[in-house]
Amino acid sequence: MNDAHHSSSPQDRDLQPPERFKDKQVHHLERDQLVAETSRPVPRAALSARTAAGLWALRVFAVLVSLMVIYTFIAQLH
Amino acid sequence: MTVTPSFPAGDIPPSEPPLTEEDTARSRDRSRVHRARGHSRRWLLLWLLAGPGILAMLGENDGPSMIAYAADGAQYGLGFFVPLIPVLFAMAFICQEMCMRVGAVTHRGYGGLVLQRYGRVWGWFGAGDLTLTNLVTLVAEFVSIRVGLAYFHLSSGVAVALGLVLVVFTLSGGRYWRWERIVLGLALFNGLFLLAAILVRPHAGAVVSSVDFMSFPGGSFNTLLLLLASTVGATVTPWMIFFQQSASADKGMTARDIKHGRYDTAAGAALAAIFGVGALIAGAALLTHHGPGIQGFTGAGFPEALTHVAGSAVGTVFALGLIEAGAVAILTICASTAYAAGECAGVSRSFNRSPRNAAVFYAANIGVALLAAVVILIPGAPLLSIALNANVLATVLLPVSLVFMVMLANDTALMGPWANKRSTNAIGITVIAFVGLCGAAYGIDSFLQVTHLIGP
Repeated sequence: MNDAHHSSSPQDRDLQPPERFKDKQVHHLERDQLVAETSRPVPRAALSARTAAGLWALRVFAVLVSLMVIYTFIAQLH
Repeated sequence: MTVTPSFPAGDIPPSEPPLTEEDTARSRDRSRVHRARGHSRRWLLLWLLAGPGILAMLGENDGPSMIAYAADGAQYGLGFFVPLIPVLFAMAFICQEMCMRVGAVTHRGYGGLVLQRYGRVWGWFGAGDLTLTNLVTLVAEFVSIRVGLAYFHLSSGVAVALGLVLVVFTLSGGRYWRWERIVLGLALFNGLFLLAAILVRPHAGAVVSSVDFMSFPGGSFNTLLLLLASTVGATVTPWMIFFQQSASADKGMTARDIKHGRYDTAAGAALAAIFGVGALIAGAALLTHHGPGIQGFTGAGFPEALTHVAGSAVGTVFALGLIEAGAVAILTICASTAYAAGECAGVSRSFNRSPRNAAVFYAANIGVALLAAVVILIPGAPLLSIALNANVLATVLLPVSLVFMVMLANDTALMGPWANKRSTNAIGITVIAFVGLCGAAYGIDSFLQVTHLIGP
């Protein structure tokens, strides 16, 4: 569950906390609230193999159970 | 937000980024927050920062949920469900607080953040889940409005027109603040279910003495699973996750507002639990009056049955409550779809933009409502089955969305000091496991019965 932040990108790690948490106000908004800032994508997190496998297992499970619910729904119509 | 956005090699971020109409509108809203905070006007600050939490929670007290609570009361009485509903809303608070916090700290919606942080595949899977469950749920919302209107001898066409007019009306104006305040005003009428409960004049002592968490409802194992899955699906759903995070960002909330965001979410959970129990108590008035036989989604359903047993005032209040519950849910669910569409397409997604500058956002908002409305008008469409299964499907698909929510809330690169604590993670994972088990157990058990692999 916590692998995402343990495996953050080098770009994340290079940032020093005091610099990263400093807010600058533009009018009444924080700088990173501006559309120009939120339009830029955040860096991709590197998921560990275990996390990725867990997510895929959960996804496959959810799809299978959803198909069962949909099948049951259709069968009950007849 | 704490992660620096990625710039193409060689590019230097501009020192003063250009302001859009969205920034200007949001800045205007934030100036009032700054003034209220500066003058220590606590109640004004609370009023200004309330919204996404109450809307997510009362939006989930939708038509199908209130019919499900009334049906639980009519079939099984109060015993098991009066304590269950507050517990489920406490679970919902845990999930929704994370959404609010991530939205306030990152200023980004759930769909866009999952897509950018964990990859397009996961982003689009999430958006697909949301679209499917939202479409099915929206059909159920129109059905519940139709049930409420049927009490006043009005047709499906009126239900469709009412829903669509409300969506278009709330979208006009091009301001998040305006949209939020209109929907909040409507959402407070969810209290009609509490009024219905008071009007059936339950004996307070009898209500308290009937409460027993260990008195599991009778009936088959499958029925119990359906009840659990649909009741869980009536309290936490994928659209709430998308909605509250995106709405918190669109409202302009920041990390300084997290405390008030918690108040907002807690107030929403408390109100939703009280009003949900209200619907349950009103439904329980039918327990000894053929309650289990009432079809909540056909004809005038519960309002008509309540009129015969408790008087026309109760029936009228319950019918109006169903119309309100369906209408508010249509508005919030359409908004969650629109946010997700804009975030996944990487285009403007804000109520603070004009339709010309956020075409995808507005088109998705109206389009999904229109699509559900068309299903309602198809002659012979299996609306009853759709309405009954809407909550179950949401419960089955919810754990995946919740896992990503917990991952985002734990992402210290994004969240900095506002990342989840261990205790929040422990509770969050327990909630995910419970929701996953309820949905999966019902789905698998029903499938095995339909395919005759096990007996009923």
